Amino acid sequence: MSGKSFSKVLVANRGEIACRVMRTLDAMGIASVAIHHAAEAGAAHARMAGEAVEIAGDTPVAAHLDGRQIIEAALETGAEAIHPGYGFLSENAGFARMVAEAGLTFIGPDADVIALMGDKISSRNFAQKHGVPVAPSVMPTEELDEFVRQAEAIGFPLLIKASAGGGGKGMSIVREASGLREAARIAASEAQRYFGDGRVYAETYVERPRHIEVQVLGDGEGGAVHLGERECSVQRRFQKIIEEAPAARLPASLRDEICEAAVRLAKAAKYRNAGTVEFILGADGRFFFLEMNTRLQVEHPVTEMVTGIDLVRAQIEIAAGKGLPLAQKDVRFEGHAIECRICAEDPERDFMPETGRVARLRVPDRDWLRFENALDEGRAVTADFDPMLAKLVAHGPDRSMAVERSIAALKDLALLGVTTNIDYLGRVLDHPAFRAGDLHTGFVSEHREALAEAEPEPGILAAALAAAAMGLREFRDLVEAVPEPHATIGGWRN
Amino acid sequence: MALQLRLKGREHSIEIVARRPELVLRIDGVEHRVAVMPGAVMLDGRAYLFDEGVTGDRHFVRIDGRTFDLEAVDPDLEEEAAAGGLDVIRAPMPGAVVSLAKAEGDQVRRGETVLTIESMKLQTALTAPRDGVIERIVRQEGQTFDKDEAVVLLVPLEEDAREQTS
Repeated sequence: MSGKSFSKVLVANRGEIACRVMRTLDAMGIASVAIHHAAEAGAAHARMAGEAVEIAGDTPVAAHLDGRQIIEAALETGAEAIHPGYGFLSENAGFARMVAEAGLTFIGPDADVIALMGDKISSRNFAQKHGVPVAPSVMPTEELDEFVRQAEAIGFPLLIKASAGGGGKGMSIVREASGLREAARIAASEAQRYFGDGRVYAETYVERPRHIEVQVLGDGEGGAVHLGERECSVQRRFQKIIEEAPAARLPASLRDEICEAAVRLAKAAKYRNAGTVEFILGADGRFFFLEMNTRLQVEHPVTEMVTGIDLVRAQIEIAAGKGLPLAQKDVRFEGHAIECRICAEDPERDFMPETGRVARLRVPDRDWLRFENALDEGRAVTADFDPMLAKLVAHGPDRSMAVERSIAALKDLALLGVTTNIDYLGRVLDHPAFRAGDLHTGFVSEHREALAEAEPEPGILAAALAAAAMGLREFRDLVEAVPEPHATIGGWRN
Repeated sequence: MALQLRLKGREHSIEIVARRPELVLRIDGVEHRVAVMPGAVMLDGRAYLFDEGVTGDRHFVRIDGRTFDLEAVDPDLEEEAAAGGLDVIRAPMPGAVVSLAKAEGDQVRRGETVLTIESMKLQTALTAPRDGVIERIVRQEGQTFDKDEAVVLLVPLEEDAREQTS
């Protein structure tokens, strides 16, 4: 395959992922176009791009979901292709179709494949048809009475989801009949609000499940390879916070079986682009298809670190018709990589999102470390976007070194001005069960007490209090005043 | 008057004991010899490196891989808060009210859902912190609020109130 090449690509995203995509565009000598809402004027991704186009919307998120405006921006700036990143319009079949109709290249699969994989039911049926195992389930419906009747028939525990959903929205685990109707009602209402599709879906919930996913690359003509698996079992609120490659303690034969199932699915779908096939793995070794994400994944850097393959470059070359970058037999794995998602949230308050301002950012510099971010000191952290602030990705020759390095890097990182989960992530990595690779998606709640922050050492607490006191101007003035002050101290403000 | 710094709801006091020949601070009742320079604090002869970040009234100090989120206590505001005394359901994060499960005047049991809010695209049920009666719904369906804002006010059940006064 020879294919075409792009000279300019619009990145229809923001934050760390827009910056990460543009880094590869730069390396490939391709010009980049960023989009931004007025609320993010001057943001890192907009500064990094060759050109930045402002898009309008009632909210910043609404602007980033306005496909028509984004396509216009691409046409006006002369971009030939659109890279959607993850989230926003990345798995929107209608957008992919509009991009193609505008004569541009969507860096992703065909709209029909997005639609096929974007629906829990059609993707599940497709997987089943092609010999990929699926879990017993209730067909999606808006009829709550029928849903409850069928769900009760499967038995508990049950996992309830929005049929069109993702990202944990509308999801819950129901363990007995009494909670079923309310959980279904909430799921249906969230499904309607966020996806415009009120259908809900339920399936057998696997106890102590592990989340194992396989990175695939497909050429769109039935060719596909896998780049190994990732384990993303450490989650809170149904969202991943720590991911690693390869999975710990996964027997080689089972790993091969799972990766082969993913490749089978990608080939059957004539999948084009980088994609991820997600599975749930039970303690008994049974695994079930969860879904396929038809885009670059948040946690893609761990795969890049162990394979040495730039997934964004692969996406762009595949979209340009240049085919797969390598054959399966040439895929090599080296060492172990761990990603920690740094979020503006309070682990002590059920991981509720937090707001604030990036008052201080100091990032350790190591050749085994990637710190994916688009942060600027002074910029507000608002509730406008997802609470993920950055990703800290460390590589090591083996899993225990990757764990040690991740802990050291988290300890060394300063991101101050908003409550984050940085210290919490360090405690997860340091937990004996994590070190032993004894993971499942209930890890965070199972080890809740052990993962709580311990009381500080008295010396460190006193040092912190002294440092903070001396950072208050009124207090410092009292300490430094000449002659000795007689006045009492008033209000303490920064 | 000692400086009060609040950490996770707990107050810590810091007083200047001596300024010369070296600074001595009484921190939570214990005297320490202190010297602070940019990025480092010496406490009783031991050096600690730190990072700091200040935003509004919040003073973040990071030492040895641990972040302290400190706030100087304003004595005036504290008195106001103490004068309240009503049971309040506060918003745990900024968002909007999706639905109300209770109306003003309704009785609620501890843990019962009073309203459902939505924030960061997630719906969360807010429950009654104790048995009581809904006195006032401050934020109605569709209305937005900031973090820590009072959304519903509770008063004790009348029988409880009688018991308490008798």
